[in-house]
Amino acid sequence: MKYVKKVLGEDLRQYTMVVALVALIIIFNIASGGKMVTSSNFQNLISGNAYVLVLALGMLMVIVIGQIDLSVGSVAGFASMVMAITARQFNLPWYVAILVALAIGVIAGAWQGFFLSRLGIPGFITTLGGMMIFRGGVIWVSNSISVPVPSELKWFGAGYLPEWGPAFTGMNNSTLLLGIIAIVVYIIIQLKKFTHSGDVTGIKEEFWPVAVRIGLVTAVIGFMTWIFGSGRPGTSFPIPGLILVMLIILYHLITERTSFGRHVYAVGGNKLAAELSGVNVKRTYFLTMLNMSILAAVAGILFVGRSTAAGPADGTSWEMDAIASVFIGGAAVSGGVGTVIATMVGGLVMAVLNNGLMLMGVGADKTQVIKGFVLLAAVAFDVYNKKNRR
Amino acid sequence: MKSKKVLSVLVTTALAVSVLTGCGGGRGTGESAPAANTVETAGTEKTDSEPANDSSASDSSEGGEVVGVALPWLGTQNWAEAEVMFKEQLEAAGYEAIIQAADQKVPQQQQQIESMIENGAKVIVVGPVDGSQLGSVLEKAKDAGVYVIGYDRLLENTTGVDGVVQFGSIQTGELQAQALLQGLEELKGEAPYNIELFGGGPADPNAPNFFTGAMSVLQPLIDDGTLVVVSGQTDFTQCATADWDNSKAQSRMDAILAGNYSDIEIDGVLSPNDGIARAIITSCENAGQPIPVVSGLDAENESVEWVWSGRQYSTIAKPTNALVAETVSIIDSLLGGNGMPETDVTVSNGVIDVPIYELPPVVVTKDNAKEVFADDPDRMALLKD
Repeated sequence: MKYVKKVLGEDLRQYTMVVALVALIIIFNIASGGKMVTSSNFQNLISGNAYVLVLALGMLMVIVIGQIDLSVGSVAGFASMVMAITARQFNLPWYVAILVALAIGVIAGAWQGFFLSRLGIPGFITTLGGMMIFRGGVIWVSNSISVPVPSELKWFGAGYLPEWGPAFTGMNNSTLLLGIIAIVVYIIIQLKKFTHSGDVTGIKEEFWPVAVRIGLVTAVIGFMTWIFGSGRPGTSFPIPGLILVMLIILYHLITERTSFGRHVYAVGGNKLAAELSGVNVKRTYFLTMLNMSILAAVAGILFVGRSTAAGPADGTSWEMDAIASVFIGGAAVSGGVGTVIATMVGGLVMAVLNNGLMLMGVGADKTQVIKGFVLLAAVAFDVYNKKNRR
Repeated sequence: MKSKKVLSVLVTTALAVSVLTGCGGGRGTGESAPAANTVETAGTEKTDSEPANDSSASDSSEGGEVVGVALPWLGTQNWAEAEVMFKEQLEAAGYEAIIQAADQKVPQQQQQIESMIENGAKVIVVGPVDGSQLGSVLEKAKDAGVYVIGYDRLLENTTGVDGVVQFGSIQTGELQAQALLQGLEELKGEAPYNIELFGGGPADPNAPNFFTGAMSVLQPLIDDGTLVVVSGQTDFTQCATADWDNSKAQSRMDAILAGNYSDIEIDGVLSPNDGIARAIITSCENAGQPIPVVSGLDAENESVEWVWSGRQYSTIAKPTNALVAETVSIIDSLLGGNGMPETDVTVSNGVIDVPIYELPPVVVTKDNAKEVFADDPDRMALLKD
């Protein structure tokens, strides 16, 4: 077991959900007769859930600071509806419409951030208000009618990378290139880490775990590249997935490597201590809420791109999916704990569950029940583990 | 804990192995249905037990083909009936039916349609939650060689639709107007008749069609003086009822009666649906008017009772059974290799002109209620005394 620890790191508990995810994929693949692990289904899985995962990115930070945002679905719906109206009824180009949607995200976020950070109104109440305000707004501006969006916007929700280069690769070459870049970057980072591993502690890491790690990750990325790249010609790793991956990297870096990220965890862990050690709590609250609403706008754009129209009910109960992803990913209700990667795994567990049950023809009613149990089980398991740690 | 770590490694390896050996998926063969790499589990007696290397996608035409039906929800009588009837009729016709309801959630429905494509459906019937929000998913179905049939509602804003089966909305309006005329002649003596007009919610694309259909029957009679619209309100915009809101219709009727009918009697009212019909009748009763001849639509239980007791003259039924049967006959034609049946009616969905298969709705009055609902035990139960 100590060998495994050397490869994966000391805290193996964080891999529980990864194991659950992989197990689910395998179980569903067998139960559905091989319909789970196919190019087209993986593409569906990503483009159908990218918007929830984007929301979960922002929701993670909100939950880490010890708050909750109930308004994200309504903000997403409102931003994308205004975007659709801008493009359709005012005949403005699609990129202006996207900027308008993002601006709505900024305004909505600043509004909620203001109430939370300046007036000290709890996030739950601030965003409950926001949920009603923006849901009402969607229905108001749309008169309850769906508004189609220009076809350019479809690219963000249902687009694929371009096809080019030689056909002998048997894949979409854009996807292949991305996969190769990802592997190379990972190898460089690992090697760099390895060469600097003894700098502070003086204990140099052995090389073999690094090699095993590189081997494992290369296999996973290689497999993903193959499964996404080898679908029907014209398909690739989906654009919404690419946007999601870029956001994951960005937010992973923000939460792990920047002082703002450290402030977020500090404020969530112990607000008083953070304040006393000079963290600007109000600013952290404000920026986290602002960021959440901007991501909500992005999620709205992705969803509307996929739907080809913005509808009056868009965003209904999306906040619940996002919150569930974060908690399945092991975040603590009290705040201060949770990581970007674990949240994404949590979101994917929900997505795979949903997708697999649908492939097997299970109805929405039962799917809902099962998802509820999984959420409870995941959090209960987490709490149980933490108690037994000491 | 220890066993879990071992498990994690085992599971990862298992996945890699199962996938690498299993899927020999190549591209360029135009394959759309995923090649099954394990034994089929859920299949009816007609499904091939031997997973064929399905490279020629969508044109294997043996029996037991998969038909997907995506319904918006099961929360109203007609959708709940549709679920049961589709299951019975599709299975009776020898197809394997996948029927899923989306709980009124667009993302759920999008994913359900995708999962039907993954399950190798050859035809997908879509009763949309929102007809304009399935664009890219339906195009995906089209790319995979799957036929898409809209059910009851138009599928807008997409090229991925082959036809739509619905009840004719213009025709519904015509029938409402004819029923109104019939009732006037039967109950209100000689012409001229004093009437008022009501339309549905302007946001619903059906509402103007109902009104147009009705006016095509009524307008000539208004012009020759047989019918008198006392309030003078004959434009759709004047007559429309925002959001099909019964209470708004009732206040409009109150205002019309107070302003125009202080010394004359109202004989008939064109109503676009049953809820509004009941609101109109209630308003007339409150104003001390005799009950006018009122049309309706939907054969809601309460209105069926009112028609039976003579308070509401007519309603219009749109039997789910007939709509499902029509859809299944189109599926038969498609999977029998005969393509979409001929139709004269097309409607633009914003991108392409979609063939429409219209069914005639059925007028229900007290005289024929027992015949119309003969196969409908729930509504038959309302026709007592």
